[in-house]
Amino acid sequence: MSKSNRGDGGRGDKMPEFRPGTWLQGNGPESDIAICTRARLARNLQGFHFSPCLPDDEARELYDFIVQRLKQSGMPEQLHLLDLDNIDDLERTVLVERHLISRELAGSTRARGVATDTEEAVAIMINEEDHLRVQVFASGLQTEAVWRRAERLDDALIQRLPMAWSEEFGFLTSCPTNTGTGLRLSVMLHLPGLVWSDEIEKATNTAQKIHLAVRGLYGEGSRALGDFYQVSNQVTLGRDETQIQSDVFLAVGRIVQWEREVRQALLRGTARSRTLDRIYRALGTLERAQILSSEEALGCLSALRFGIEEDLLPGFTIPNVNRALLLSQPGHLQRFTRERLQPDERDQRRAHLLREVLGCSR
Amino acid sequence: MQYCTACQKAIASIVIMDLNGGAVTGSQHLCGPCAEQLGVGQPKAPTKFSAEILEDLLGGLKSSRPATSRPRAEACPGCGMTPTEFRTKGRLGCPRCYDVFRHELMPLLARIHESQSHRGRLPGRTSTAPVVTDEKNLADLRRRLEEAVRGERYEEAARLRDDLRRAERGEGARP
Ligand SMILES: [Zn+2]
Ligand SMILES: [Zn+2]
Repeated sequence: MSKSNRGDGGRGDKMPEFRPGTWLQGNGPESDIAICTRARLARNLQGFHFSPCLPDDEARELYDFIVQRLKQSGMPEQLHLLDLDNIDDLERTVLVERHLISRELAGSTRARGVATDTEEAVAIMINEEDHLRVQVFASGLQTEAVWRRAERLDDALIQRLPMAWSEEFGFLTSCPTNTGTGLRLSVMLHLPGLVWSDEIEKATNTAQKIHLAVRGLYGEGSRALGDFYQVSNQVTLGRDETQIQSDVFLAVGRIVQWEREVRQALLRGTARSRTLDRIYRALGTLERAQILSSEEALGCLSALRFGIEEDLLPGFTIPNVNRALLLSQPGHLQRFTRERLQPDERDQRRAHLLREVLGCSR
Repeated sequence: MQYCTACQKAIASIVIMDLNGGAVTGSQHLCGPCAEQLGVGQPKAPTKFSAEILEDLLGGLKSSRPATSRPRAEACPGCGMTPTEFRTKGRLGCPRCYDVFRHELMPLLARIHESQSHRGRLPGRTSTAPVVTDEKNLADLRRRLEEAVRGERYEEAARLRDDLRRAERGEGARP
């Protein structure tokens, strides 16, 4: 099927112009350290096989059924539907880098899509590991706000769609790690203080003891690039949504406090000059480098962000650093420059683009 | 009195002993349904036969999936997932898998969540009224479908299967 005769079905085929998401503006509570909070609900429908046993034709049927129900009036959010078959791989990568869809959904060959608003606050993935993955985002540490908003959305979905659930196990998901509430609350944290002072492992271990998962936001495996971490609840069964919300809120609050204390220690006494050296070297690199890999860019931007938060770098702003973090990723970089680039070309463009975005090109 | 080690809900009625050279090296207490699930209950040949046909009928929607070489009676009647598949993937294929693989799922849930039952929201308890899926109607359809299969009335069974699918989606029967 060609691209042109696809759109009439009302499936949605154009990338919406996203207004910069609220999390980019960095104006939520504790947003010096907590960049953004996300609530995710895993939901499946009765009468359809779960993803591991879902044949392609049934996936198509399921997709159409969900889309038709989402179009019924009275949804609490203004959503724009995007059929992932109708956009190219670069646009799909952009959505992945904005955390609106998962890498798995982007790479899947089934009928699949995402319903989003234009503020990047809501994104419902269709035909991911579960039939529905409802996501709500907010700037800073706002576990209760994202949960409340996700709950309202869930109410509307439950009215429209026959969810799979049981009294005993709650919402039935394809992976037992999500069974029950299906709720995963995550907070993206910027923790340069804990990383630079080698306390991050201690913090991670403490979080894991109270059943929170900690992983790097960028990069593969255990290695976190640019000191960005994601903390989320591991337990979805046996604790209700309010308990999960307060578990994550309290634990993240403690990590944020810890990070603040460590930062102060890094800026006192003999540690201070080493910390400043690291921040100014990063600034020097961003101002002068001609070739910048995404890995190096993340490290420099992390140091810069630290410097700005501690009032060491007047003239730079957090929204610009956040935007630079987004634009330094391959998909955004290529979309921004409007051409497909080889990896070494990307590194050159990145060096120039970051100067522009950060306002140090004059 | 002892609870079933598989489902941990029902009272155990069967004790399975592991014998090694005449010595008891271990034992398992099971309830009737779990024993049957695990294939250690009394074999019931006719039921098994019709269960396979039922499965074929229910499998009408999953025709594009390659058939497995596993004995089909062990597989989930809802989606065809076998115990081996469940063990290797760690994923469930349909809502019925939660019952079929219960004895393996329970310890898994306990390990992941330190809990085996839900607390929190359910569709029946939201502030707004959800889609009504008529559980009684569903049970009735399942029973009639099984009867039709047992009575070898396959045309009727196929029609009932379609009705059941629609009812499960909350769409109601079509004319
Ligand atoms: Zn049992
Ligand atoms: Zn199943």
